Amino acid sequence: MKKYVLLPLLFGAGIFGAYAQNDLFDETLQMPAGFQPVSVVLPPSPLQMQVLFIGGHDIVQTTPTYGNEAAMAIAKEWHDFIGFTPDTTGQFMGWVSVNHEMIYQDNRIGDGGGMTVFAVQRDPSSGQLVVAPQELADGRKGHFFNVDFVNTVGETGMNCGGITSMIDGRIWTAEEWFQGNNASINSGNFRAPSSSSWLPKSPGTVSNQGVRDTSDYTISSDIPGFDGLTVRKYENFNWMVEVDPRQARAIRKQYNWGRQGFEGGVIAADNRTVYLGIDGTPAPWVKFVADTPGDFTLGKTYVYKQDAINKWVEIDNTDPARMLNFLEEAMAVGATIFNRIEWVTLDPATGNVYMTETGSDNPVNGFTGGVNAGGVMANHHTQRALGKGLTGALDPGYRDYYGRVLKYDPVTEEVSVLIEGGPEYAASPDEANYPTNHFSNPDGIAAITIDGQSFLVLEEDLNGASYGRMPAGTVHIVCEVYLLNLSEENPTVDDLIRLSATPVGAEITGCVMTPDGKTLLMNSQHPNSNLEFPFNHSLTFAVHGFDQLTVTGLQGPTWENSSSFQIFPNPATRRVHMNKQTDVALYNESGQRVRVFRQVDQFDVYGLNPGTYYIQTLEGEVTKLIVQ
Amino acid sequence: MRHLLLSLLAGLLMIGGSSFRNDRDVAIADGILINSQSLFRDDLARWAAAADRYLQVTEQWVTGHEKLEAVRAAHVHTRLAFKQVEIFVEYYDPYAVRRYINGAPLPSVDRSMPGINILEPEGLQILDELFFSDSPGDSPEDLLALVRTLHQQIQSTVNYQSGITFQHRHVMEACRLEAIRVFTLGLTGFDTPGSGMAIPEAEKAMQVLFRQLLTYRPLLAQKTPELVSELEKLSGRSAQFFTEQTVFEDFDRLNYLMEVTNPLLDLLSRMQSRLGIEFPDETPHLPGPLNHRAGNLFSPDILDASFYSRTVMDGGWDARVRLGKWLFYDPILSRDMNRSCASCHHPEKAFTDGLPRSMALDGYSHTLRNAPTLIHSVYAEHYFLDLREPFLDRQIKHVVMDEKEFATDFFTLANRLKESPEYNTAFAEAFPSPAGPRISQSSISQALAAYVGTLTGWNSPFDRFVRREGQELRDDARRGFNLFMGKAACGTCHFAPGFNGTVPPLYTETESEVLGIPSNRDTLHPIPDTDPGRWASQRPHDQAPFYYGSFKTVTVRNAALTAPYMHNGIYDTLEEVMDFYNRGGGQGLGMDIPYQTLPSDPLDLAPHEISDILAFLHSLTDTTGMTSRPKNLPRFPRQPEWDLRYAPNP
Repeated sequence: MKKYVLLPLLFGAGIFGAYAQNDLFDETLQMPAGFQPVSVVLPPSPLQMQVLFIGGHDIVQTTPTYGNEAAMAIAKEWHDFIGFTPDTTGQFMGWVSVNHEMIYQDNRIGDGGGMTVFAVQRDPSSGQLVVAPQELADGRKGHFFNVDFVNTVGETGMNCGGITSMIDGRIWTAEEWFQGNNASINSGNFRAPSSSSWLPKSPGTVSNQGVRDTSDYTISSDIPGFDGLTVRKYENFNWMVEVDPRQARAIRKQYNWGRQGFEGGVIAADNRTVYLGIDGTPAPWVKFVADTPGDFTLGKTYVYKQDAINKWVEIDNTDPARMLNFLEEAMAVGATIFNRIEWVTLDPATGNVYMTETGSDNPVNGFTGGVNAGGVMANHHTQRALGKGLTGALDPGYRDYYGRVLKYDPVTEEVSVLIEGGPEYAASPDEANYPTNHFSNPDGIAAITIDGQSFLVLEEDLNGASYGRMPAGTVHIVCEVYLLNLSEENPTVDDLIRLSATPVGAEITGCVMTPDGKTLLMNSQHPNSNLEFPFNHSLTFAVHGFDQLTVTGLQGPTWENSSSFQIFPNPATRRVHMNKQTDVALYNESGQRVRVFRQVDQFDVYGLNPGTYYIQTLEGEVTKLIVQ
Repeated sequence: MRHLLLSLLAGLLMIGGSSFRNDRDVAIADGILINSQSLFRDDLARWAAAADRYLQVTEQWVTGHEKLEAVRAAHVHTRLAFKQVEIFVEYYDPYAVRRYINGAPLPSVDRSMPGINILEPEGLQILDELFFSDSPGDSPEDLLALVRTLHQQIQSTVNYQSGITFQHRHVMEACRLEAIRVFTLGLTGFDTPGSGMAIPEAEKAMQVLFRQLLTYRPLLAQKTPELVSELEKLSGRSAQFFTEQTVFEDFDRLNYLMEVTNPLLDLLSRMQSRLGIEFPDETPHLPGPLNHRAGNLFSPDILDASFYSRTVMDGGWDARVRLGKWLFYDPILSRDMNRSCASCHHPEKAFTDGLPRSMALDGYSHTLRNAPTLIHSVYAEHYFLDLREPFLDRQIKHVVMDEKEFATDFFTLANRLKESPEYNTAFAEAFPSPAGPRISQSSISQALAAYVGTLTGWNSPFDRFVRREGQELRDDARRGFNLFMGKAACGTCHFAPGFNGTVPPLYTETESEVLGIPSNRDTLHPIPDTDPGRWASQRPHDQAPFYYGSFKTVTVRNAALTAPYMHNGIYDTLEEVMDFYNRGGGQGLGMDIPYQTLPSDPLDLAPHEISDILAFLHSLTDTTGMTSRPKNLPRFPRQPEWDLRYAPNP
């Protein structure tokens, strides 16, 4: 790790006795009259947030759907994946694609999940992004466009993750709404509540109900073996689907990649190899290799088998029956079993592939089903279980509360654990030894470059709050976004850097960096607290200023060896670091206590209005903090 | 640029301060925490030992070497040992307790996984039900497997929680939550479905609570001595209740609430403040809905409505509520401008309409379900009787788009509203932020949510009585409350203080129940209602079979005004409703309701007991300040025919 030794300015050092671990702070600051504490300034963050697209609020342009004319509709919500497609013509900076992870009936916009796309340009004077007006080939004009799935490849359900090709910005959207039969799509009890279409519909019937219509679906596709195939309606869900963000229409469902509970994927630099993440328990690890670079209609599909010499086992993707029952086929050839693989990314500097294995509290039933069907447990689960004194990952006592990030090395073809979630202890540690970061159930992942160094952006999506996934005494489940420097060897949760320039209490999903390295585009999915407009909506936002960050600026300080109290506010992370672990109370300018932090060596000022505060430590040191 | 930033950072390193602290208080406070924590650790060890014994005895019972009575005794002992640690175990890991240790004896769906992953019930409650059933010997191996899993979970919880370091605020918050948990759940028999040990368990839990609080005696003596005697008196009063009243049916819950629970909440809040212990809103974590500063369970501010409505109480708040009220009463929101929200939610009827199911837009057919009261409706995790919508400000979307209700869309509505200068001004005042929103789906929805969020009635005679505000309460209503919270088991689903399905003490989750409501009133020949309820909410996780016919537990506040009752409005009177429950719901009536969550045993309530409960329900009426309709609605100068819009009451 690169370290930069910061030289502190030394003031008179007071020696304070540490009395104990916990303390009481008065509700108003007790400070002798006339005492002037030293003051410290926290400059504005180099990262600035800009809202681009508000779900449930902005207006999207629609195509003629279910007999409705092309018109406008209010955008869908539950933003998940975000993709970026650079514009090689130079007209725009590029196109942003946003997934909607929902099942929603509005016949003007097309049923099911879906996607919204828009073009952006960078304003040269402000550096901000501007959503550019466009006119598409189908005649639609506007700023935001609903991707047409209904008239192209059939409806999609709960569009969650996806793929942005690093080569040319091609976009795939993943369908997560895994359905095993038509009855779960429409049991005859769904009504079409929308009045916006006047098509005949009758409660208790199953036709003419958009995404809930259970008529058979006849595939029209350029993928061999599938064109003209008629499938049950539910079988046309759960594919990776390529879309054209420039024209806001779907291109094809990727029938040759298997029907799976897809979450994410990545395309390697050869423009042939695709790695795919499956959100399920058991989950196989899947690869597709195209015959010709850039043509994903022809190629071979494989599942990973860790315990074999040839680690990738082919599953014939020209046989529709095999692709429709992919999980069964994968287990039958002895595929390695994972526990909910979500998003996948690739570090261009090394070619290594990283994927989040989000974990689940009770994976044993799923594992057992997979093993009974022929699958083989991934080594890291078996090792982890043995390390806990269990018989293996099928032991009824096996739990996977926190999940982890996995690394796949395409050269050695080995999967290893990059960073374990947690930290997990047999018994919880004393607070003094408790790490600042707690990392659980990673979901979104993206490799980005900051200051010439590769980092991973890691997004949590907590499965629950038990066993320390949330600090004691919290009711809200709050998911954090972290940065991890990929040059760290054997990283632990202590090496994670919290990215605080995101709305508090909203789940952040999806992230993609603009090609100029300046702006990270992210989605805020479902706010779980009472935030102000527009943060109470699903939204797509940009965080500008990544080109201003430095590797050292993201690190905590290196302290001058001194017994005196030192304090360091980091503008990039909005954290105030101290050279000891202690209790801290924060008082506002008029001396009212506003925050208390216990047993910390750093604390977060995000969410506090700019202004003057007083910091008082357990030992009594008082410092003035000016938050700008 | 990079170097500039770095040198800037280096200059920020500072060294601070002087000490202005009372070291003696600090030392006392730390001693208290160490003491408090070691008491908990000892209790954890006892609980683990009880679980060891429970497993051992069950194994011996399965092989025929122990009697059922011994297993039952070991179960009761393990439960009591749990009650001794419940205060902190629940505080530090409520989700693990619910999932593995003391959750409802019902299957659930793992909401963190895609698809339907059904979780079978585990832990003390299902064992309580099974070991105290008539025939636990039918499947001893299954019971042993459950005990074994529980044993494992208790071990891992004990390991995990033995290492947690107490903070003062943890103790204060844990005590507050436990005081509420014991009153709202424990004393109602919520978690003792089979053994009926509710009173001894509550006694144990309260003993521990007071024991932990009394560890603060030295610090209180130092800083605020008058609270020491207050605390000791309260502890003695609580103990006296449990000494004198040991029978579940006879326990005087109303007096316990007024003499122990409420004074304790009040004392806790003062104690926490005077000792300088921070409240949840001063921590870096987002607060929940429970107001830890409130000194009474029935205080109007005990729950934060804006937590549920997810609306920010900022500068535009009052204007937003005013605007929301206009919109609520304005037929401009419906396709033909002849219906408003108030068409089905009459303020005089506590915002219901007196119909089994509301009149549809066409004027002759009906909506899917009975119109529920809006008063107190804000206090919920999900909205609609089938729980389909998690956000109050998106609830209106369903009404606007439903062809049987407003049959329109937000485009049309926003374009209409923009025609009115008064509405334009009102929206500008309600949403003053330059970021917007102006007239749009979200601003219309948020204004309505803000208004509905103010429809709370905490000033019923019962509320004012338990707050000791000079209100009297009739003896039959007092007896009725005790029955509601005790023998009649109403309070095990209609939780205090909202008397709805929002689960204490965190109040972050809303329950639904399968009652087996019939579609006719013939108790001899009942026909099951076919409404699939929550199962058809269109939320993927709700498509589990046990959600078929499951409906949200709504508040019983204002029940006197909200007839007819149930999701299909099948019962005209509260007497009929009580009769239905008294018979054990749909199963009790003899219908085949496979996933009924209401116990099918009769409640054995005598007629005078039913009339006492009705008297209590009648004491919960409060529509104060909510019944006035706006005198005038905004005008549309450019669309004079719109000013003739009128929504007759059906």
